Amino acid sequence: MIGWLTSTNHKNIGILYIVTTMTFFVAAGALALLIRSQLAFPGNTFLGPHAFNQAFTLHGTAMIFLVIAPFGIGLANYLVPLQIGAPDMAFPRLNATSFWLFAVGGLTVFGGLLAYGGAAATGWTAYVPLSEIAEGTGAGQDLWIVGLTLVAVSTVLTAINLLVTAVLYRAPGMTMWRMPIFTWEVVATAVLILMAFPPLTAAFAMLLIDRHTGGHFFDPTYGGNPVLYQHLFWFFGHPEVYVMILPFFGVVTEVVATFSHKPVFGYVGMVISAFAIAGLSIGVWAHHMFTTGAVSNPFFSAVSFLIAVPTGVKFVNWIGTMWKGAIELSTAMLFAIGFMLNFLIGGITGVMVASPPLDYGAHDTYFIVQHFHYTIGGGSLFALFAALFFWFPKMFGIRLGEGMGKWSFALLFVGFNATFLPMGFMGLEGMARRVYTYPDVGHLALLNGISTAGSVVMAVGVALFFVNVLVSALLAKPVPDNPWNGYSLEWLTSSPPPEFNFHTLPRIQGKRPAWDVASGAAP
Amino acid sequence: MAQTTAPQPQQIGPKGMGPGFWPYTIALTVLNVIFALLILFAPLDFIMPGWSHPVTDRAADIDGLFKFMSVFGFAIFCYVAGYVAYFAIVFRRRPGEPAGTIGVVVHDAPKLEFWWTVIPSVLLVILTGLSIVVWYKIQFGTGAPALTMEVIGHQFYFEYRYPGLKGSVYSQTDAMHLPIGKPVRILITSADVIHQFWAPEIRLKAAAVPGLVQNLNFTPTAPGTFDVACSEYCGVDHSVMQGKLVIESADKFEKWLAAQKQRAAAGAHPIPLARGNAASGKALFAQKCSACHAIAPFDKKIVGPGLAKLTDDPQHPTLVTGKSPTRDHIAEILENGYTGPIGAMPNRQANGLSDQNIADLVAYLVSLK
Ligand code: HEC
Ligand SMILES: [Cu+2]
Ligand SMILES: [Cu+2]
Repeated sequence: MIGWLTSTNHKNIGILYIVTTMTFFVAAGALALLIRSQLAFPGNTFLGPHAFNQAFTLHGTAMIFLVIAPFGIGLANYLVPLQIGAPDMAFPRLNATSFWLFAVGGLTVFGGLLAYGGAAATGWTAYVPLSEIAEGTGAGQDLWIVGLTLVAVSTVLTAINLLVTAVLYRAPGMTMWRMPIFTWEVVATAVLILMAFPPLTAAFAMLLIDRHTGGHFFDPTYGGNPVLYQHLFWFFGHPEVYVMILPFFGVVTEVVATFSHKPVFGYVGMVISAFAIAGLSIGVWAHHMFTTGAVSNPFFSAVSFLIAVPTGVKFVNWIGTMWKGAIELSTAMLFAIGFMLNFLIGGITGVMVASPPLDYGAHDTYFIVQHFHYTIGGGSLFALFAALFFWFPKMFGIRLGEGMGKWSFALLFVGFNATFLPMGFMGLEGMARRVYTYPDVGHLALLNGISTAGSVVMAVGVALFFVNVLVSALLAKPVPDNPWNGYSLEWLTSSPPPEFNFHTLPRIQGKRPAWDVASGAAP
Repeated sequence: MAQTTAPQPQQIGPKGMGPGFWPYTIALTVLNVIFALLILFAPLDFIMPGWSHPVTDRAADIDGLFKFMSVFGFAIFCYVAGYVAYFAIVFRRRPGEPAGTIGVVVHDAPKLEFWWTVIPSVLLVILTGLSIVVWYKIQFGTGAPALTMEVIGHQFYFEYRYPGLKGSVYSQTDAMHLPIGKPVRILITSADVIHQFWAPEIRLKAAAVPGLVQNLNFTPTAPGTFDVACSEYCGVDHSVMQGKLVIESADKFEKWLAAQKQRAAAGAHPIPLARGNAASGKALFAQKCSACHAIAPFDKKIVGPGLAKLTDDPQHPTLVTGKSPTRDHIAEILENGYTGPIGAMPNRQANGLSDQNIADLVAYLVSLK
């Protein structure tokens, strides 16, 4: 136990990240069930507005800052040194610091629930002036700001660490252009984090100053500007969605290639598109502010549309990888396919709302709620499960049950689509987001009912996953070091790997060292 | 290490694009055509109210754009998802095949990637152009506006101001009115936090930001009564910040506006105080006022003073406004609110009171002894 708490080994820290994020995931998922229960039928009074507002604020905050993004970071922590043949991260103690800052930050945010007046209730965006007056005056809001600032600092430190590791700590023969796509995506993510997170910490600092010392940064009566907060927030917020998706693009690429038993199709295209997405994502933030009338809608619209191009390249490459493969429909592969189907819908609705006139209709309605859940929930979350099924044997030396895993996938896939597909139609019918109740007009009752039922199916799928982990741990069936015929370096070491990852490193002479060793091409 | 099976570069599975690839592609295409015809010609009003009868000229433009994008979006979804599913099935590894079999090694196809980059780029440039044209019309209008009105967001109601009208119209007590056939410009701002003015049928929304005025331009084309909602989360009662929009003929609109002006000109209390009903007032008081006021002597304060002896209290012969406790003066407080040394009494908009509500409450308060 003490060993875990004081460990600086990247594998332990990676696993700590994963366990912590999965714990927050359960909490945030429970909040989602509360939200869906309240919205199950019109005029429901299960949660009052104040409890509901805290629930959706914490749900969004936790899923974004404490689950999806840090899971990607934790996975990168575990995998990047293994994939490039390094014994550990560049700065192991900094790495441990990052993790503990993150864990304390997350608990601080949830600690708001114990505050007088309750947790933060101004949404995950905490727009001013709302977060400075009325709804946002309680200590819960302060804990939210401070907690997320810790998380943001932790994320920046990890990004530096990952970047230095990938650039300087590669094994002999592991050139940049031989790195697995997952590692490449992590490099792009790290660059993005370094650009996007500092403005967030600035915004939070200004918010704290405004709240407690009369800073008036965002207060128009003193020459401040509430739109300034939105600029700072979304300058972080849009890149953040790519921080939440790029590592998972990497996961899907590895899983699809491994289970299609083919090399990655369009490796160079994959790398270029990752950086194209990262680059473009820095220039689209104000598409979240089209309806403020305070930004250049044509410019931000054009750049937002453009992001679809490199994203499309990724799809071509995944499909190309599957084409003429010998596809093994393992649980991880099913989750990766689920990712593609869901993320596709998120991408297409994303292109629609990149058009300002359409955004005037969709903005802040359930249409948007549907859009981003298809990217982060149907996308990243499905890839998260793909990653767990894929690398679990490497991390723990045991395999997760495939039969139960496929049931989890089926429940999650059906449940996810039942929950979120109706939301697009709710939006078209005129349901705004962040409302705790809605009138019984049109098909809102029906659509919301389906959505709530879907969320219960998802919950069963998630529960089954944890049962699977438990049962697999009890059975503890040993697995070979490379159970999937993977090609990257991590599959050449034992499962779980030794403290410094490799006893001997093979000669690395290509992108697929494990295959080279197996075919006798490398010693 | 030894378990890794050496991949054998042998071609297995189907030849060509895969079995049934072309019939499957044709099926997907037919599906797309059917979907496109549905989107373009079917009356899908049950999915989106106003689908076949846009109520403003801009709503027609926006719906056109939406339909165009839906057709393309569905096509892309159909082919991409269709091929993902198809390849997963036809190229799946069959049970009997040895663990070491691998797929055909294809590293890339630069030509395919080139076209797959260029074609969507062109499509997206077209979409950008179309979007910007519509956006320009919304932002700047297509001519001089015949009516310019203001919408001001408050926690938790909208205030509407019309030219020549002293005083305002409020979303809880009256609808926003617009005339058919007149180009209108709506100026939008907020008095407190950020709100968002949204009327789903006119397909437009605009954030109401304190310190910033922005505008929407369009010409109403069809009559009806539509919903208005706040769509930016603005605090605890955000969910109920709703109202109505009436689009009517220019004649009817002028009549409505004239009636509003007359009411405003009629002076202090157009409210029919004589018609107040004390019993309704009692129920309303429990609902809207009892959080701040007790029915008790003046000194039993919650947030505001006790109101049991409002008209007959030797210790407090006047109201907090310093005026005598007549019906009119009480109504004045309920209507405009009052901030004094005790605290802030909200106005009628904040309390959500109609004229009749005020009359009922006054009747109730003066009935207390
Ligand atoms: C948010 C709390 C609040 C609510 C809600 C509220 N009031 Fe008040 N009210 C006050 C305060 C505070 C005052 C005293 C203002 C001052 O003098 O500083 C007041 C004053 C009054 C007075 C004048 C009392 C006097 O002795 O002169 C009347 C009458 C009154 N309120 C009626 C109502 C009615 C009727 C309602 C329900 C529609 C209502 N109030 C709702 C806070 C509130
Ligand atoms: Cu964005
Ligand atoms: Cu609101």
